Amino acid sequence: MDSALIPEGVKRCPLWKFALGIIIVGVVLLWGVYAMFLCWFKGLNQTNMNDAYGFAIWIWADLAVIALGGGAFFTGFLRYIVGKDELKNIINCTIVIGFICYSSALLILAIDIGQPLRGWFIFWHANVHSMLTEVAFCLSCYFAVLTIEYLPLILENRQTDKIPFFHNLSHNLHEVMAVFAATGAFLSFFHQGSLGGVAGVLFGRPFAFREGVLIWPWTFFLFTWSAAAYGPCFSLLVTRIIEKITKKQLVKQNVIELLAKISGWMIATYIVAKIIDTWYWAAVTAPSNGFTLLDFYSGNALYGIWILVLEIVICGIVPACILITEKGRKNKLAFTTAIILGVVGVSLNRWVMVLQVMAVPVLPFESWNLYYPSWQEVATTVLPVAYGIILIMISYRYLPIFPQEKELNPIES
Amino acid sequence: MKIDRRSFLSLGVGAVAGLTLSPLPWKMMDDSSIWTQMWPWTPVPEDGEVSYVNSTCTLCPGGCGILVRKVNERAVKIEGLKGHPVNDGGICILGLSGLQLLYGPTRVKTPLKRVGKRGEGRWEKISWDKAISEVAEKLKNLRKENKPHTVGCISGSANGTLPKLIERFLTVYGSPNFMKIPSIQDSYELTLHLTQGVQALAGVDIENSDFVLSFGSGIIDGWGSPVRMFKANSALKKSGGRLVQIEPRLSNTAAKADRWIPINPGTEAALALGLAHVIVKKSLYHKDFIENYASGFYDKTGDNGFKRFVLDECGLDKISKITGVDKTVMETLAKNFAKAKKPIAISGRGQGKSPGSLNEFMAVHALNALVGNINKKGGISAVPEPDFINWPELEMDAIAAKGMQKERLDGAGSNKFPDTGSLLNRFAQSINSGETGKKYPMEVLFVAGANPCYTMPDTKTTKKAFGKIPFVVSFSPYMDETAQNADLILPNHTCLERYEDMPAPVGLTKPVICLSKPVVSPLFDTKQTGDVIIALAKALSGNISKAFVWDSYKTCLEKTLGSKWDVLVEDGIWVDNDFTAPAWENAFDTPSAKFEFYALKTDDINPVKIEGDDNSYPLVLMPYDSVRLANGFIGDPPFVVKTVSDTVLKGKDSFVEINPETAKSCGLSQGNYAVLSTPKGTAMVKINLFEGIMPGIIALPRGLGHTAYDKYLANKGLNVNDLIGPVEDSVSGLDTAWGIRAKLSKA
Amino acid sequence: MNKEHKDTKTKKFGMVIDLDLCTGCGACMVACMAENNVPFKEDESNKLDSITWMRVYKLTNGKSFPDTDICYIPRPCQHCGGIGDHGHSPCVSVCPATATDYDHETGIVSQIYTRCFGCRYCMAACPYHARYFNWWDPVWPGDMKESLSPNVSPRMRGVVEKCSFCFHRYQQAKDRAYANGRREIEENEYQTACTQACPAGAITFGDLNNPEHQVHKLVNPDPKHCGRPKNPKAFRLLERLQTNPKVYYISSREWVRRAGDNYIKNESKQIA
Ligand SMILES: Nc1nc2c(c(=O)[nH]1)N[C@H]1C(S)=C(S)[C@@H](COP(=O)(O)OP(=O)(O)OC[C@H]3O[C@@H](n4cnc5c(=O)[nH]c(N)nc54)[C@H](O)[C@@H]3O)O[C@H]1N2
Ligand SMILES: Nc1nc2c(c(=O)[nH]1)N[C@H]1C(S)=C(S)[C@@H](COP(=O)(O)OP(=O)(O)OC[C@H]3O[C@@H](n4cnc5c(=O)[nH]c(N)nc54)[C@H](O)[C@@H]3O)O[C@H]1N2
Ligand code: SF4
Ligand code: SF4
Ligand code: SF4
Ligand code: SF4
Ligand code: SF4
Ligand SMILES: [Mo]
Repeated sequence: MDSALIPEGVKRCPLWKFALGIIIVGVVLLWGVYAMFLCWFKGLNQTNMNDAYGFAIWIWADLAVIALGGGAFFTGFLRYIVGKDELKNIINCTIVIGFICYSSALLILAIDIGQPLRGWFIFWHANVHSMLTEVAFCLSCYFAVLTIEYLPLILENRQTDKIPFFHNLSHNLHEVMAVFAATGAFLSFFHQGSLGGVAGVLFGRPFAFREGVLIWPWTFFLFTWSAAAYGPCFSLLVTRIIEKITKKQLVKQNVIELLAKISGWMIATYIVAKIIDTWYWAAVTAPSNGFTLLDFYSGNALYGIWILVLEIVICGIVPACILITEKGRKNKLAFTTAIILGVVGVSLNRWVMVLQVMAVPVLPFESWNLYYPSWQEVATTVLPVAYGIILIMISYRYLPIFPQEKELNPIES
Repeated sequence: MKIDRRSFLSLGVGAVAGLTLSPLPWKMMDDSSIWTQMWPWTPVPEDGEVSYVNSTCTLCPGGCGILVRKVNERAVKIEGLKGHPVNDGGICILGLSGLQLLYGPTRVKTPLKRVGKRGEGRWEKISWDKAISEVAEKLKNLRKENKPHTVGCISGSANGTLPKLIERFLTVYGSPNFMKIPSIQDSYELTLHLTQGVQALAGVDIENSDFVLSFGSGIIDGWGSPVRMFKANSALKKSGGRLVQIEPRLSNTAAKADRWIPINPGTEAALALGLAHVIVKKSLYHKDFIENYASGFYDKTGDNGFKRFVLDECGLDKISKITGVDKTVMETLAKNFAKAKKPIAISGRGQGKSPGSLNEFMAVHALNALVGNINKKGGISAVPEPDFINWPELEMDAIAAKGMQKERLDGAGSNKFPDTGSLLNRFAQSINSGETGKKYPMEVLFVAGANPCYTMPDTKTTKKAFGKIPFVVSFSPYMDETAQNADLILPNHTCLERYEDMPAPVGLTKPVICLSKPVVSPLFDTKQTGDVIIALAKALSGNISKAFVWDSYKTCLEKTLGSKWDVLVEDGIWVDNDFTAPAWENAFDTPSAKFEFYALKTDDINPVKIEGDDNSYPLVLMPYDSVRLANGFIGDPPFVVKTVSDTVLKGKDSFVEINPETAKSCGLSQGNYAVLSTPKGTAMVKINLFEGIMPGIIALPRGLGHTAYDKYLANKGLNVNDLIGPVEDSVSGLDTAWGIRAKLSKA
Repeated sequence: MNKEHKDTKTKKFGMVIDLDLCTGCGACMVACMAENNVPFKEDESNKLDSITWMRVYKLTNGKSFPDTDICYIPRPCQHCGGIGDHGHSPCVSVCPATATDYDHETGIVSQIYTRCFGCRYCMAACPYHARYFNWWDPVWPGDMKESLSPNVSPRMRGVVEKCSFCFHRYQQAKDRAYANGRREIEENEYQTACTQACPAGAITFGDLNNPEHQVHKLVNPDPKHCGRPKNPKAFRLLERLQTNPKVYYISSREWVRRAGDNYIKNESKQIA
């Protein structure tokens, strides 16, 4: 029925199957939308956040999703600026993921703030000293860039492509894409960093606070670095999942391995930096404020030192080792484990930098604040996931996001 | 025109672009944010002309001067009145929240008559005329049946024109049953009466003392006139005076004291006598006072004197065993107390809500006598009640005279308790025990300025007694527990809407009268209780009517206060500045014309008994007072409840304070639910570990567990009065209970 | 800068709370609520969503009976000067919408409710938990609206609020002084609601820059160290974080002074 919309030369599942999938995910999406409206109309009392936990699961989801979406800018950077041409075969996929992640991030922010209708004050009454201002500007600009990057993809749909205006637009956009990719990469370097800065500048919170250069705390650089390092893992993971579901190979192994190798080296260097940062923080920064490392990891039911081990060793050193070795990349199980660990690692890092920051007591006479999200929070956090799945489903079905698909899966007539 | 796909699309794109570039979306964005800044459901307080009215806060017996800020006719803030002799600008948490009571949802807005069952909460509005004539009718009938004595009243206080008007009404009507809410004032008055032969209030000059020895008195937990005591405590700190606090629990007062001496509860009298032992033994007592102005110190023929008793019977080993206080601590403490220039010893636990053992008051007061700090600066003095109520003599008719001959239902003034004026703690028991002996039923009960169904220990018994009284009239401005259980509510104005005098705030060292004034005109269809009493009297005609010569309460007040009226209206307070407590030569109105040490009995050093046996109830439950919880007639307004800690109240659960060691032995830890039972009742509580409480003792705050009032107060926590009961003092009949035996088990 | 500002001295309003005098009575909390139209709700026992611009903490020394000791610490907004006391308070520097600001004329950290869009970044930044979010619409049932003061606007749902050092009282005091032809206000003309109410006289408020003012005399702030108190009995909360609060505490008890900051075990008692 919808065959006219499906790219030429590829096979797609029957429409009913596709529709069923959309409906199932759509129900989850609607649940999230319902929760979202509850939060908008009844206010944030629908959440379990409180005055000690002003940032909670949403902000974590926000940061995590942006880090995971980091594959988009970094692959763009690699392809257009460094000139790794092979990556053109996966870049569309990273752009879709990036678009999903960033639009989700913006949506979450619009739900998370207490006065959504005043959200634009962040631009109008901007405070240049605030990391969040930097985040808002870069995030919005980069989202615009991603939209522009996503646009040609849409225009490449069989039907839109028939219209000469769109065909030409698409063509011209491709020509200038390098400029946008470069802009995007630059913007992204910044706002990934400013997200790291959000926690790092909090000099009232010794757990989060880091020294740095000029106005930027070390977390600024660590966040950019980690997003560049782990973002591709997520792109690879998503590609892997799509391949699993469609039971097709969509990207050639050399492309996958190239991205994986780069990711591996990025993780390796990042984790060295992260260890140095942690050591300096534990040995110098925190003690100068009267804290030992263990103060941050004891006296509560959740945050033990295991979290640091998990983040640095299991989700840092291990995937790095796997991905930088040829053997590791070639071993399917090891490879999959590595990219999953990478995704977990960066998400955990963002969790720690949001949730644990809130949880650690600063006043000596206060104690740990643990919290669990309300169903409304869970639903609104699941909402972008559902939305993302739907967008990927649609994009995959109707847009040529995997240029190698045709070649790898010739249709026998 | 044919619209093909292409032109449709470009039209669409054009429209979106055009709309975006037009001012419309921007304008809408701006408007919507402006709308959020002026949400119609977020109130905008009306501005207007600002004025200030001074008055007196009567939410507790403290008598603080207040200054109320008004905007047009609205009262917007209550502040302490600077320069006021009681509180000099300071104010407490409750006084500050007064406007929430004035404007709050708990007000009774018109007279209400019960339609459902008692306590069911179904009421019908009734006009004032109808309400008053209904009551008058009932009262007339009772007199016709020669039963005027079956009418009674429970009043929050016995002093001031309003209580006196009510008492006058009852007298001329023919009932002796005027009762008041008990407090340590009763014990102090009795102590001064027995030792010094005077009818007077105890003035405590903490601020000028240099050594305050407090037997559990919570001077910063709301004892006495609370704000004045806060100030006195600060004055003490600044002048280098010392405060030694004796009690089993680290109260705020104990924490702020220079020295906290934990003591086995109920053994305060023994400790006082132990200290007396040291003072006497080391001859540290005030020679002049003891030799020339005291009697009963030395042996009389056939009678052990105070000296002999404390030397022989109060050896430190023995006292130490009873009190749990170390011998050397007692020794140094006694020495330093005696050596201080202006030492003062005070008693009455916590806020002084429970009168306590007379023996304990006498023993502690004996310390004041030993150091001769009576009627002196920095000591305790006998302050006469301001003498301004001089109304024309009453004329009782025969029915009234006969009624007045009857013994009071609470037994006060009887042969057994000749010196006590009111014994509300015995009232419920007496009603419940029925028509045995001389006792008679109570037919009509008025309740004014009191909430006995909540505040009296053993609420179950109190409520049972109320159930036996066919007609209960409440004068409460608020829907409190007693009003809820009444048949008729005749709501008074709140203290911010009415004139009312408040003589003698507790503990002041000079005779003082304070005046509440209407800060705003009455908001609802309420009536000053004084006017209701006068109207009732008029309706009853005859001698009763004749005894009330005033056409309104305000004229009564004005006439009664005479020349003081103008001063009071202007300043809100009148102080008898010429008053000085009489010198020792003229101070004592006893048979010996001296201070009389009482004859001690061996039993007097034994601990004050409480209810319950040690085997079934291994622990002891003590109520404690906190300034963050009003626990008297006034229920807490929302602001006050807001300040209550989450280790006292969480959601609807009350926490019981317990020493970690004790908790461990009961298998309980922080936050656990537990079942608390006493001989009076059982309740569910949560555990709050507190190192500052003596092992074996557990404590619950007074002031929670209301069932009436609004959603901001009702059904939160536990009313400790449900779990405790009174214990009668053998001499005064007053309630001596300081706790009750209890048991805690895992829920 | 207009002329008015030029001929008045720069002020640094601050507060000194004597913990030896403070009784934990809570009058300061309620005075603040009544003065500043702070809302209340049915259940306020969850202290993590209960708005108390002034909050009185209860501390214990951790020792067992009978050596236990208690101290109360009232905590308004500390009106932090930030690192170097340049006005970059933890909260002000992070607010993306400039909805909270540092007033260099007075040292007071302001909060503009109609500007705030409720991102709560400032709350995350404030180590004192001095900031409160309006999780609910404020509701004053029945006639309770009558008691609202027109000097402080009630806040709407979804914005952050905090202690303002009763800034409206400063404006009123200045207006009165100007009306009388004076440029400077007297110490007693601007006092906060909590200071005024405290029955124990534990709170002192005034200009830390003015050596004549009580607050200055009480703590003797060291200008070389961003106002660190020279009085050895005085301290500030979390001094080592360099938030540079303008609220000082005095206690004669060592354990209390130590409880005001974090120390590593066995660390020398001296602050570097
Ligand atoms: N060797 C020897 N032993 C003695 C004595 C002696 O002379 N010699 N004297 C005995 C006598 S008389 C006494 S009273 C005791 C005194 O013995 P302690 O009760 O130990 O008295 P201090 O050491 O004066 O004060 C105790 C603690 O209270 C703290 N403190 C200060 N202000 C406050 C406050 O507001 N609240 C609270 N909770 N604590 C505060 C002080 O910092 C100090 O740490 O010692 C007895 N023991
Ligand atoms: N700086 C400071 N000052 C304090 C205190 C503090 O902690 N710090 N604590 C305060 C307290 S709680 C107290 S109790 C006082 C204690 O202060 P003081 O009242 O001065 O008590 P002591 O120094 O213990 O003893 C007083 C004198 O009594 C003598 N003496 C001992 N036994 C006897 C006796 O049997 N008969 C006679 N006649 N004399 C005897 C001793 O030799 C000594 O000279 O100090 C108070 N002042
Ligand atoms: S102490 Fe009593 S009289 Fe004084 S303000 Fe408080 S409630 Fe009113
Ligand atoms: S009002 Fe004064 S004494 Fe009461 S808690 Fe506040 S600072 Fe302490
Ligand atoms: S105490 Fe908190 S809210 Fe107040 S100025 Fe400091 S950081 Fe900001
Ligand atoms: S919550 Fe309001 S005041 Fe706080 S940082 Fe966000 S916009 Fe600024
Ligand atoms: S200074 Fe004013 S706003 Fe701040 S806590 Fe005190 S009363 Fe509240
Ligand atoms: Mo002492």
